[in-house]
Amino acid sequence: MTKATGTGSYQLTAEELRVAEGRDVIIEVIASLMIPLIQLFALYVIIHGALGAGGGFQGGVILASSFILYVIAFGITGARKRLPESWNTGLQSLGVYIYAGVGLVCILVSLGLVQYLNYWALPLPVAYEMRRAMGMDFVEIGIGITVMATMTSLFFDLAWKEKEERKEVKEGNEGGEKE
Amino acid sequence: MKAESIIGLLMVILLAGLFFYIVEDVPPYGDPNSPALQLVRLNISVDALAVEDELNQGVIPATLVEALAARNFVAPSEVEGVTAGEWDAKIDKGEFYYEEDEKYYHFKKAGNQIEVYRYAPVVRYLEKGLEETDVPNIVTAIIVDYRAYDTLGETTVIFTAGVSVILLLRRRGKL
Repeated sequence: MTKATGTGSYQLTAEELRVAEGRDVIIEVIASLMIPLIQLFALYVIIHGALGAGGGFQGGVILASSFILYVIAFGITGARKRLPESWNTGLQSLGVYIYAGVGLVCILVSLGLVQYLNYWALPLPVAYEMRRAMGMDFVEIGIGITVMATMTSLFFDLAWKEKEERKEVKEGNEGGEKE
Repeated sequence: MKAESIIGLLMVILLAGLFFYIVEDVPPYGDPNSPALQLVRLNISVDALAVEDELNQGVIPATLVEALAARNFVAPSEVEGVTAGEWDAKIDKGEFYYEEDEKYYHFKKAGNQIEVYRYAPVVRYLEKGLEETDVPNIVTAIIVDYRAYDTLGETTVIFTAGVSVILLLRRRGKL
C-alpha cells in the first residue's frame, strides 16, 4: 500500500501531493486570503466582549472555524503539522487553568480577604472598576482558548476517524478481490 | 393517509391553537420592565388600613416588620413612595466593598391588603452594573462577573466534552 504523503524512498513534490489529495488551487488561494482575516476577527470578538457584542465562546468558535477552513482547503495532514496534537490538547486545558487561576490569584494576592473570582483584588495598577473589567478580559481569553481547542480537536478526531475507516474499507475490498 | 399522521397533524394544530390562546397573556419577550423579570411575590400580606399612612410618611410599620421577621426576611431600613399605592423599601447592605443600601422590597396595595414583593437580582444588575464593573455590555458583566462561577462550570463542561470525545475516538488502531 502506498501512502499519499510519500514517506518512502520517493518524495512527492507539492504539485503531485496536491493532485494526490484532490485539492484545488483556487480554494487554496481564497482560503489563504480568508484565514488571517477570520483569525483577526476572532481575536477582535474575544477582546471586544466587554464593550460590545461578543465574548469568549463566540470568539473561540470563530477561531476554530478558521482552522476547520484550513483543513478543508489544505488537507488534514498539513493542518496537523500546523497545529500539533500535543499543542491542541495542552491548549484545551490551558484555558480552564487561566480561568481558575485568575480566581485563585484574587484569593492569594488579597491574603484571603476576598472570595474566589472577585476580580478587583487583581494586582493591576488601575482603578477598581478597571480592574474588574480587565479581570473579565483575562477570563474571556481563557474561555476562548478552551473553546477553540475543544472544537478543533473534536473536528480533527472526527476527520481522522473517517479517514481510517475509509482506509480499512479499501483494504478489506482489495483483500477480497485477491482471494 | 395513515392514522399516525392524522394524529400528528391534530397535535400540531392543537399546540398552535394553544399558543395563540395564551400569547396575549405572555409579556413581550425581552422587555426589561415586565413584572415577571422585576418582582418576586413573597406571599406576605398585611391589612392596609393601619399601615398605609405610616408608609406614606416614610415610617416603617411595626406590623410589617413582624410579618417579615416571621418568615425570616431582613427588616427594611427606609421606605419611599413611588406612585399612589406602591412603595419601595431599602435594606442595609453590609457587603465588603459596596456599602450603600440596596433597593430590596416593593409594597403594593391590592384591595384592602398590602402585598409584599422582592426585587429580582436582575434589577440590581441593570441599575448598578455599569457603576460597579465599568463595562458597558451588561450581558458580559452578568455572565463573567456576577455569575462567574456559572461560566467556569460551562467552560469545564466544554472541556469535559472535548476530553470525552478524545477518549472515545482517538484510538490509533488499538481498541
